[in-house]
Amino acid sequence: MFEIFKEELFEDFIIVEYRHIEIEKPSFALISLPDTGLVSVIGAWHIIKTLQLPEVGGIDSYIHLPPVAVISNKTLRTPIRVFAGNNLFIVYSEFMPSQLGMIKLSKLLANYLERKGIDYIFLATGMPIQNRFEVEKLRTFYLATSQKAFELVKNLDLIPFENGFFAGPYAILLKEFVRAKLNTILLLTESFLEFPDPEASAKNVDIISRIIGKAIDVKELLDEAEAIRIRARDAMKNVVRGLAQMRKDLEYTPPLYT
Amino acid sequence: MTDEEFDRLFKRIREIERSVRDLIESEFRKILEDFREDMSHFKEMMYPMWHHEGYLRPLYTIYDRGNYYEILIDLPKSDEGSIDVRFHGNTIYIRARLKEEIRFSHWSGKGGETRFHEYREVIEIPTKIDPDKVKVLKKRGLVKILIYK
Repeated sequence: MFEIFKEELFEDFIIVEYRHIEIEKPSFALISLPDTGLVSVIGAWHIIKTLQLPEVGGIDSYIHLPPVAVISNKTLRTPIRVFAGNNLFIVYSEFMPSQLGMIKLSKLLANYLERKGIDYIFLATGMPIQNRFEVEKLRTFYLATSQKAFELVKNLDLIPFENGFFAGPYAILLKEFVRAKLNTILLLTESFLEFPDPEASAKNVDIISRIIGKAIDVKELLDEAEAIRIRARDAMKNVVRGLAQMRKDLEYTPPLYT
Repeated sequence: MTDEEFDRLFKRIREIERSVRDLIESEFRKILEDFREDMSHFKEMMYPMWHHEGYLRPLYTIYDRGNYYEILIDLPKSDEGSIDVRFHGNTIYIRARLKEEIRFSHWSGKGGETRFHEYREVIEIPTKIDPDKVKVLKKRGLVKILIYK
């Protein structure tokens, strides 16, 4: 069963919707792409599962995404999947587009989210730290791209991301969303770079849950952390190569001028 | 044609020769790099993260920290007491029993009915290992091995 309600082309990408998508206000979007420690993907997966969000659409590209067909519950789905319910809209992918594809996807998402009338966007990922093996209490850094976005995070126990480099797919998204003047909140929780890190995901999910005012229990995510780490090993291995190409190592470099 | 004109002509021919050689060399290097990358992907494809004989391969990273190597290995759901690390030459042999049996069929049918009981991995590092200069730390299903040079 693969019924398409709406289909549109955006450069080399195809956007499909399986039903009419309506999102309550104030609306929030979460973009989840494979990155540091798969923090974003694991977190989004937990939110979708906990809130039982239905799959409402997807994005595909024969040029910029691997030639893969995603089968979910006997149904063909796109590599980039869209879930939505109430006031939450989630873009979820376990596949990283090429660097050029990432630039085009960022433009597509900025345009698509604006047309959907999304009020706030979360880019919630990991911040690699060299001593993650020793660290047990993880810190979360944030960057708000507008005053409106800042109002949502100002009273939370977060550290402003003041100086430093930020590389990879989320850096491209951030730049494009700033250009499109979208209210974006970047959340970076300390994590492993090359191992799946569900603990860091749980920290991000907890923060998102408090901002959107919807209870999302992270206990199950923490209890299942080791099983998730086993399950995410292959995905992580595939992502590391892409992260190296996107110069993720730059995040360890202190800038000369701040 | 004067001697000076001849010199200029030969100098120009040598320059063209050099730039053609540089171009061929750089193209050849690029082809070789692409081939190496394709081969490494092919190698990874041939050795997935699990084996049908019932063992999983862990994710690991090797860092060169100057006077020592740091090897970080992710062994989720492993029984910490069973983690066995051995050294021979420049090779590290790791085995660890899983706390419980794992079957991928619960998630996707991948691996069929294969049941996994342990982790196994062989890691080579660029230096000969002196077992007296090694430190092994275990925490939350992770192993950190420090090998002093």
